[in-house]
Amino acid sequence: MSSKTFHGGVHPVEGKEYARDVAFRPLLPKGDMVFHLNQHIGKPAKPVAAKGDPVLAGQVIAEADGFVSANIVSSCSGTVKAIENRRNVLGTSDLSIVIENDGAYTLAEGVGVETDYTTLGNQEILDRIKAAGVIGMGGAGFPTHVKLMPKKPEEIKYVIANGGECEPYITCDDQLMRTYPKEIVTGLKVMLRLFPNAEGVVLIEDNKPEAIAAMEKACAGEEKIRVMKAEAKYPQGGERAIMTVVAGKHIKLGMLPADVGCVVDNVATVHAIYRAVCKSEPSMERGFTVSGDGVKEPCNLMVKIGTGLEEVLEAAGGFKDGVEPEKIICGGPMMGFAMPDLSAAVCKNNNALTVLVEDPVAEAQEQQTACIRCGRCAQVCPLGLTPQMMAEAAERKNYERYEKKLYGLECIACGSCTFICPAKRPLMQLFKQAKAEITAAKRK
Amino acid sequence: MSKLYNVSSSPHVRSKLTTGSVMLDVILCLMPVTVMGIWHFRLQAVLVILMSIVTATLTEFVFDYIAGRENTLKDGSAVLTGLLLALCLPAGVPLYIPFAGALFAVLIVKCFFGGLGHNFMNPALGGRCFLLISFSGIVTNYAVDGYSSATPLAQMAEGTAVSVTQMLVGNTSGVIGNSVAALFIGGLILWAMGGITFEIPVATLVSFAAFVAIFGGQGFDPVFILAHLAGGGIVMAAFFMATDPVTSPVTSTGQLLFGILIGVLSGVFRIFGSAADSVSYAVVISNMLVPLIDEVTVPVPYGLRKQKEESADGKKSFPIPKAALILFAITLIAGVALSGVYGMTKDTIDAQNLAASAASYQEVCPDAESFDYDDALTAAVEALDGEVYGEDFGRAYINEMVVGYDASGNIVGYVISATSGDGYDGNITLSIGISADGTVNGISFTELNETAGMGMLCDEDDFKSQFAGVNTDQFILNKSGGSTADNEIDSVSGASTTSGAVVNAVNAALDFYAANVQ
Repeated sequence: MSSKTFHGGVHPVEGKEYARDVAFRPLLPKGDMVFHLNQHIGKPAKPVAAKGDPVLAGQVIAEADGFVSANIVSSCSGTVKAIENRRNVLGTSDLSIVIENDGAYTLAEGVGVETDYTTLGNQEILDRIKAAGVIGMGGAGFPTHVKLMPKKPEEIKYVIANGGECEPYITCDDQLMRTYPKEIVTGLKVMLRLFPNAEGVVLIEDNKPEAIAAMEKACAGEEKIRVMKAEAKYPQGGERAIMTVVAGKHIKLGMLPADVGCVVDNVATVHAIYRAVCKSEPSMERGFTVSGDGVKEPCNLMVKIGTGLEEVLEAAGGFKDGVEPEKIICGGPMMGFAMPDLSAAVCKNNNALTVLVEDPVAEAQEQQTACIRCGRCAQVCPLGLTPQMMAEAAERKNYERYEKKLYGLECIACGSCTFICPAKRPLMQLFKQAKAEITAAKRK
Repeated sequence: MSKLYNVSSSPHVRSKLTTGSVMLDVILCLMPVTVMGIWHFRLQAVLVILMSIVTATLTEFVFDYIAGRENTLKDGSAVLTGLLLALCLPAGVPLYIPFAGALFAVLIVKCFFGGLGHNFMNPALGGRCFLLISFSGIVTNYAVDGYSSATPLAQMAEGTAVSVTQMLVGNTSGVIGNSVAALFIGGLILWAMGGITFEIPVATLVSFAAFVAIFGGQGFDPVFILAHLAGGGIVMAAFFMATDPVTSPVTSTGQLLFGILIGVLSGVFRIFGSAADSVSYAVVISNMLVPLIDEVTVPVPYGLRKQKEESADGKKSFPIPKAALILFAITLIAGVALSGVYGMTKDTIDAQNLAASAASYQEVCPDAESFDYDDALTAAVEALDGEVYGEDFGRAYINEMVVGYDASGNIVGYVISATSGDGYDGNITLSIGISADGTVNGISFTELNETAGMGMLCDEDDFKSQFAGVNTDQFILNKSGGSTADNEIDSVSGASTTSGAVVNAVNAALDFYAANVQ
């Protein structure tokens, strides 16, 4: 079976060797737990616990507010210490519920009760997923129960578990597939019950042979589920790249994958669906990679949602001895967020902490020249955009041209253009700014 | 407060590519042709290359200093410009030529327009075009060490066969960077390294070859096409000039169109215009169309493609992008306009030729009041089909035959225009006047480019008068002089090749006359 791929893309340093073979280790934090209410796309959750309330692990502490929103569940037992603004990984502040952790992790009633999913109706499955607060764990954080309710479920042809994991350094999905292949397959089977005409596909980049072997073994005998290999190339994990590879489908402007007959969920999300439906376990923990050349013991951890990043780093042995890192990224280096400090807490859609001793961006700034119009950005753009022209339009604040002529808002912010640029232009920064200004102008 | 870590927009890793590394790759891939050039032209080539590079870098350095801009030498683009310019110059030029060219290229074309990334045409080619216009005699003088020979292209223009093999290794008269094989190898390496895309070179070379095959007048002759491909810098342009990122389109479609434009324009200029400099002008003109090309080839992004193809009524849209049609139209109009100019000037040139012919006809047939074509004779000339006439006259051609009439309309004589391809330096064309009784009235040259003081002496009366008043079937060349018989012609001393060619042409004319009039 040969590896399929999409047009464009880049090959950044993989950096997977740091943590790829380190099995998950549970991290039981001791300090306060912080639950940002704005972890998902949509409206922030509404707190249902008040200051001073005792809470148990698995208890809903904030409820979905409206259709596109998600519940937030405490991952520890203890007492609500405060509901206040706390810094998130983006560097801004979010209203958050702070819980004083009693360290006992006493579970709420009903958590962990096994259920045979085949006895459940479709609505019961969706209710369980919604109650568990499952959101897209690959990064975007779109509420999963919303994604699983397209207008015409019978038109869905492919349910895709995304094990691409194309971000450099991150290996937690790899480990998840190697550790819980059966659970992921069961999660896919749960999802397939919602879509009678769909087949299940586990998509994995060909740089993860162990995960491919494990998933193929778990899929053996499953008629409607198969494993598909894709060439290891960034950004294979993006929805559009996945649909090209799996279904040859083109996602149209302004459409969701469901509109072209696909449902795409990260393998971690599929695993969370399995736990929510079959084990009555809400979304309380996730696989998390701590890696990079500035970490003492790069590793994969099973981290409780709400754990402070300081504690996560400590669990990986802290910084390498005698090293003063220049950059700490929440997520991977291609799309992750650089953070000024470690004051934020792990959200459901954060998958990694990457510590870099030297900041390649600072170095790149020194090498920056005028654009030489080489067109490499257009060659690597997985969407077929022309970043060179977009940057020119954005610099001149010609947003009309940026949006209408150059389709700039289609950009998925994968950063391939910025990675490849020989002139080291800050393309991504320009595009993010342009998008923000265009969206702001539209709101008026 | 503890130390804060760096924050910046993603991505936080960058490729190893820098502007400097991109330029360095190109410079390295130019090394094969540079080495071949130096090997072939020795010290002169080294001096021209050094002068050009040093001037280019110094100009940029001084401009940056005076303008208070950050020193941009480290990006290597000035070195590249200097090297490219030098490779486009003959090795024998005086050193102020590369100096002036590099100065113009970097200061006017590049720095004045905003420096790296903002120049509107390839600086090296801009510099070369400046030199071509301002110092045309010097820049196209390919004499090296006082030894002069025609460039392969000039030879081809005259219909002389050229050696493609010699052109490949650069062992011909021409510019420093004229080893086509080395250019080709360097270009392929650059492509393999990802320094250039395939679109521009392939589109340029293919469209140029196609144009030469269609309009070159030699049909699909592989050697002729190869010789054109190997000459006049088209390979250099395709791989190293047109691919200059700053002055070429950004998108793949745009690059294809751009390449086709260069190929076709080069073909137009070379076949219909001046032979040697066609490619430089084609690239520079195409450079200036790049903003337009970019504008009409903005790609439809992934995901919108399908949507556009299936328009509202379910019909598939036309598969050729509008952009391609627009550019094709531009190229067509440009080509037609240029051919039109050529056509107009061609008529003028023909008229002048006719006037010149008429004068020479009168000279060799002084009794005639007027000349006119005779249908039968014209048909006989056309039946020759422009081929070499007969087997005994070397490469002689019969061009035209007219009849001379007196005032009352009686035939007083005939004039035949004949050409010999065996001249020492190109073609010799002459008019031969024959009176009604078959006596030669005289000869007159309409095209003679022989060596002054030697072959050119054939145009003197001493030589020409030997033909007059003789009634014979054939003249005989006497190389030792002192002829006695009427039909013996004394060769011009030291110019037996030219003399022989003239005698052959006259004999061919007499033979044609005998076959068609008597």
